Amino acid sequence: MENTIPRRIYDFLKEFPPFNLLDPSLLLRVSERILVQYRQPDEVIFNQGDAPGAHIYIVREGAVHLLREVDGETILVEQCDEGDVFGIRPLLASEHYALTAKVVEESLIYAINIEGFREILENNPKVAFYLASTFAAGIGEKYRREGKPSLFLDQDKMVDANFPLVEIQSLEKSKDPVTCLPDTLIREAAIIMSNREVGSIIVVNEAGQPEGIVTDKDLRSKVATGVVGLGRPVTDIMSSPVITVGPNITVADVQIEMVKNRINHLCITEDGTLDSPVIGVLSEHDLMVVQGNNPALLIREIRRCRNGKELRNIRERAEELLKKYIYQEVAIAFIATVMSEVNDELITQAIRLCQAELDAEGQKRPQAEFCWLALGSEGRQEQLLRTDQDNALIFENVPEEAYQSTKAYFLELAGRVTRLLNEVGYDYCPGDMMASNPSWCLSLDEWKAQFSKWIFEPSPKAVMYCTIFFDYRPIYGPKELSAQLTEHIFKIIEGQAIFLGFLAKDALQNPPPLTFFRNFVVESSGEHKDEFDIKARAMMPLADAARVLILDAKVGKINNTFRRFEKLSELEPLNKELYQQAADAYEILMRYRALQGLKNKNSGRYFNPSELSKMERVNLRNCFQPIKELQTLLSLRYQLAYLR
Amino acid sequence: MLFDWLAKKLGPPPDHPKFWSQYLSGFDGTLGKRTPIEEVCFVVFDTETTGLDPRKDRILSIGAVKVLNWQIDVSQRLDCYVQQSYKPIGETIAVHGILPGVNLNREMDEVEAVQHFVAYCHNSILVGHHVAFDIAMINQALKSMIGQKLVNKRLDTAALASRVLEKKDYEQPGTYGLDTLCKIYDIPMSDRHTAAGDAFITAVLLLKLLARLKKRGVTTLGGLLRGPGI
Repeated sequence: MENTIPRRIYDFLKEFPPFNLLDPSLLLRVSERILVQYRQPDEVIFNQGDAPGAHIYIVREGAVHLLREVDGETILVEQCDEGDVFGIRPLLASEHYALTAKVVEESLIYAINIEGFREILENNPKVAFYLASTFAAGIGEKYRREGKPSLFLDQDKMVDANFPLVEIQSLEKSKDPVTCLPDTLIREAAIIMSNREVGSIIVVNEAGQPEGIVTDKDLRSKVATGVVGLGRPVTDIMSSPVITVGPNITVADVQIEMVKNRINHLCITEDGTLDSPVIGVLSEHDLMVVQGNNPALLIREIRRCRNGKELRNIRERAEELLKKYIYQEVAIAFIATVMSEVNDELITQAIRLCQAELDAEGQKRPQAEFCWLALGSEGRQEQLLRTDQDNALIFENVPEEAYQSTKAYFLELAGRVTRLLNEVGYDYCPGDMMASNPSWCLSLDEWKAQFSKWIFEPSPKAVMYCTIFFDYRPIYGPKELSAQLTEHIFKIIEGQAIFLGFLAKDALQNPPPLTFFRNFVVESSGEHKDEFDIKARAMMPLADAARVLILDAKVGKINNTFRRFEKLSELEPLNKELYQQAADAYEILMRYRALQGLKNKNSGRYFNPSELSKMERVNLRNCFQPIKELQTLLSLRYQLAYLR
Repeated sequence: MLFDWLAKKLGPPPDHPKFWSQYLSGFDGTLGKRTPIEEVCFVVFDTETTGLDPRKDRILSIGAVKVLNWQIDVSQRLDCYVQQSYKPIGETIAVHGILPGVNLNREMDEVEAVQHFVAYCHNSILVGHHVAFDIAMINQALKSMIGQKLVNKRLDTAALASRVLEKKDYEQPGTYGLDTLCKIYDIPMSDRHTAAGDAFITAVLLLKLLARLKKRGVTTLGGLLRGPGI
C-alpha cells in the first residue's frame, strides 16, 4: 500500500520502452521523482533552437506533435501519443532542441529530470541503446555519426568502456609498437621480431610514419623460400601501404577493416592516416583474444571446407555470430557486411569445389571466363539469415560453334553449385531464378539483349524480373563482365522514362503495413494467416523505391538498400531527411526480421504482431512512416496517375 | 483578508503549540483574489477513516499531493498511515482494506500525522472530492489535540465539476461521485480507496476542471472561489 502514487506511475511506465528495460527498483525510484504536467492544446513544451531543458518527457495521455521549421515552413516530424518518449536530446547531447514540441490534445505529460536519469543510462546500456536508436530512427530527433557504422551515440560522452559489448569497446592498443627503419636488413628485422616475440614489424621513416609492414608470412613466403636474400633491406619484402586506423578504434571497426581488406594487421597512427606517427599495431590475434568467434576466422575456414556438410557447419557458426550481434544490437551495416562476406565466401568456395569436381571428372573448362552473380537480397548484401538462393551466371561471348558446349559446361557447373548451396541450407528459389536455369545462364551479349527487351518492352513480368535482376552483384569471376552489363543497362535506360515509370509503379504495388487505426495488417488467409509479412509490407516497398531512384540516378555498384538511400540523400539534398529516415528504417527492419528469424528458426519473414513487445511495435510503426512518404514521392516524380 | 483578520483577532496565544503558530503565520496575505491560478498552490488530499461520522470515527490514512502551475510533483507527496486503537466496524474496512494495528513500523500516531498534514498544507487551498468530510475529520482530530480548526480556503471538486458541467444541481455536490467524473474525464481509476490513490486521481480531475474553467475566463483565485460550492 505504501507509495501508492509512484506505484501507479511505475505501472504505466513499465509497459513502455525504454522503461520496461529498467530494473523494477530503479524504475520505482524514477517514478518517485516524476512531474505530472497538465498541458493544453497549442501549448509549446520546447521550441526548436531552445537551450537543452532539464527534463525528458513521456506522453501519459493525449498527443504532442514534434515539428521542424525548415525555411519558414513547419513540417510534422512525429506525433507522440500514449507511452511515447520525446525531448531526449538534452539527455544524449548537450545540444539545442532540433524540434519544437507542441501539444495538440489535452495531455498529461510525465516529465523526468535528466539529472539522475543520466546515471541510469550509464549503468543500463540497453536503455541507452534504445534511446539512441529511436533518436536515430527519426523518432524525435535525428542524430548520426558520419561514416561510423557502429554507434549512434557519442562514444566519448556516453558509453566508454563500461559497455559490455565487445564489438564496440575501445581496443586496448598494443603499446610500444615494434618498428624499424627502411634500410634495416631482413636478418636484423627477423632478430628484432624474434626477440620481441611479435609476428610483425612496422617499417617507419624518420618521422615515425608507417611505410610498410613485414609479417611472419612475408618471412616464410619470400625469405625462407630463397626468393629474397636475408641480407636485403626490409623494403624488399614489406607490404605497402599499410592500412591505418585512428587510436579510438572499436573492435567492430577493426573487423570491418580486416574483413574488407583481407588483412591480419592494422597499424594505429596518431590521426589514423599514413601521415602521422605509428603508435600501435593490432593483429587479428589481438581481436581473437577479445572475441571467440570471429568473422575473419570463419571466412578463412570456409576456404578449407571440402564439402557441403562442412560449409553448412560454418554457416551455422556464422548464424551464432549473427545471433550475438543482433542481441548485442551491433549496427546492421556492420552485421550486413560481415554476413555478406560469409555468404560470398561460401558461394565462392561452392563454385571452387564444383569446378574442381568437374576437373577431376575430366570435363574441360571452356575458353571463356564467367561471372557468378548474386541476385535479390544477397545481391543487395542484406541476407542475414539463409533464405532462398537467387543467382545467375554471365559468361564471355564465345564463337557460335563453341556456344553449345560452353553453355552446357556452365549449366552443369551451376547445377552442381546450386545443389551444393541447397545442402548448405540455402533453399532453391521457388521461381527458379537460378544460374542452373538455362534462361539465366547466358553470355554477355545474351544478357544485354535480355535487359534491352525488359527495358524497351516493359510488361508486368519484365518489371518483376527487373526488380530481382537489377540487384545483381558479382560474387565470383572477373567483375568486368558484370560491369559491362551495368554499363549497357545505364546506356539504354537513358531516355526510357516510361520504363522507370513502370518500375516506380511496381514499387507502389506493395500492400500497406498498417490499418487506418495504426494496427498491423496481417495476412487474412493461407499458411501465414494472422501473421505480419515484414518483407512484402515493409521491406520491399523501401528496397523497390531505392532501386528505382538509384537507377534513375545512374549509380551502379551500390546494391544495399540503406546504402542506396544514404547515397540518394547525398545526391538529393532536398529529400535528405526522408532518405536518411528510410535508410534507418530499413536497418531496423532488417534487425527485426533477423531477430524474428532467429527466435522462430526460420527466415523471419512472417511473425505474429501480438508476440511483439510494445517497444518493438513502436519501433516498427515508426519504420513505416518513410514508406508512405517515399511512395508519394515516386508517384509525383513518375506521374503514376497517367500510367494507372 | 478575512483569515488574516481572524489570525490577528485571535492572536497567537502563548499556549499554541509551535506547529500551529507556524501554520498560522503562513497566512501572510500573499494569496489574494487576483492571484493567478498558476501561482496558487492547491493541496489535493483524501483521508481513509474508520467510518463516516467525524465525531466518532478516526483517521486511518492521509494522502495528499500539491498542484502548482499545472503540475504535480510526485516527489512532494504525502502518504501517511495512522495507528489507531479504535476497533473498526467491518463494512468500512472492506472498502479500503486498511486494518488498524498492522504494519506498525510505517505508521505514526494520529497527532504526528495531523501535524505533518498541517505543516504540508501551509496556506494552500485545500481540495478534495466532498472535501468537507475530510476537513471535518482533520478538524475533529485538531479539536481534540489543541482545540483548533484548519483555516485554509477550500475547494470541492464535486462542486467544481457541477459548475464545469453547468448542471443546475450543483448546490448538491453529492450528485457527482469520483467514479462518475473519472469516467467523464478519462481518468484511470486504479488504487481507488487508498488515500494517496484517491488524492492523485482527484488532483488530475482538478487539473482538468481548472483548464475548462480557465477557458471560460476563470483565471484567478478570486474567480475560482466565487463560484458556488465552496
